[in-house]
Amino acid sequence: MRELFPAKQVWGFILSLVLTAAALLVYFFNMSRTIGMTIFIVTAFIQASVQLVVFMHARETDDSKSIFANIYYAILIALVTIFGTLLCMLWGWKY
Amino acid sequence: MKVDHSQPLEYSTEQNRLNILGFWIFLGAEIMLFGTLFTSYFTLVDRTGDGPTGVEIFEIFPVLMETFLLLTSSFVIGLGIHAMRLGNKKAMLTFFAITLLLGLGFLGFEIDEFIVYYHEGATLQTSAFTSMLFTTLGTHGAHVTLGFFWGLFIIIQVAKRGITPETANKSFIFSLYWHFLDVVWIFIFTFIYLEGMTRV
Repeated sequence: MRELFPAKQVWGFILSLVLTAAALLVYFFNMSRTIGMTIFIVTAFIQASVQLVVFMHARETDDSKSIFANIYYAILIALVTIFGTLLCMLWGWKY
Repeated sequence: MKVDHSQPLEYSTEQNRLNILGFWIFLGAEIMLFGTLFTSYFTLVDRTGDGPTGVEIFEIFPVLMETFLLLTSSFVIGLGIHAMRLGNKKAMLTFFAITLLLGLGFLGFEIDEFIVYYHEGATLQTSAFTSMLFTTLGTHGAHVTLGFFWGLFIIIQVAKRGITPETANKSFIFSLYWHFLDVVWIFIFTFIYLEGMTRV
């Protein structure tokens, strides 16, 4: 029975729960917008990395480099799309 | 078919390895898809017109339940893949079945949440904000729904054929998809719900 619950994954799950709880602190306690957003960004990205590395075994294969290159590229495109759009549509950037 | 026994079963042939790499590339495209949805959501979040704002309709309890159910299901399918690598078919199928039940629980809460929003006067047509909210949540929910049926067929196939290089590969790819849905949910939970509820 015990062999069915590998320590690495159990810890990954506990870490995910703790990070979720940390993000919830922003909801339950009054804090400034900057601190709140910082906590959100940090907890969300760490949690996403836990999923990729612990649960999706992204590091275990010989294709690991290709996998990470592809994922980093996708994240880059997503972030450029998000922040590029915010910059012109909401933050009032003019050329 | 050349089977490499030094590798886990799901990586054991050239075809298997390439299937997994190919699926990662698909997930890259999914990241960009959800990136564009988040872009539109962040751009339109304050365009509420005559409709409700996020802070008026979001409720913490169902959102926490959805988060907990999906997070747990992602952990359980990880255990399923671990059991598969041990060659324990019964444990693997049990974990996969629990995963899908948790997924159904998630969908139940999400559908109920949509019904509540509808009765509070927030529909797809109410405002730019509600349009993008339902489109983003709906795209994720549609992925979970598709994943439920995909997982169901995987369970049936493994039950019938056992753990072979082929079924192990399919199961592993399905697990990648399911974990990815949880990754997307983390961002929805944080940047749509929590951000929306703490907005002043």
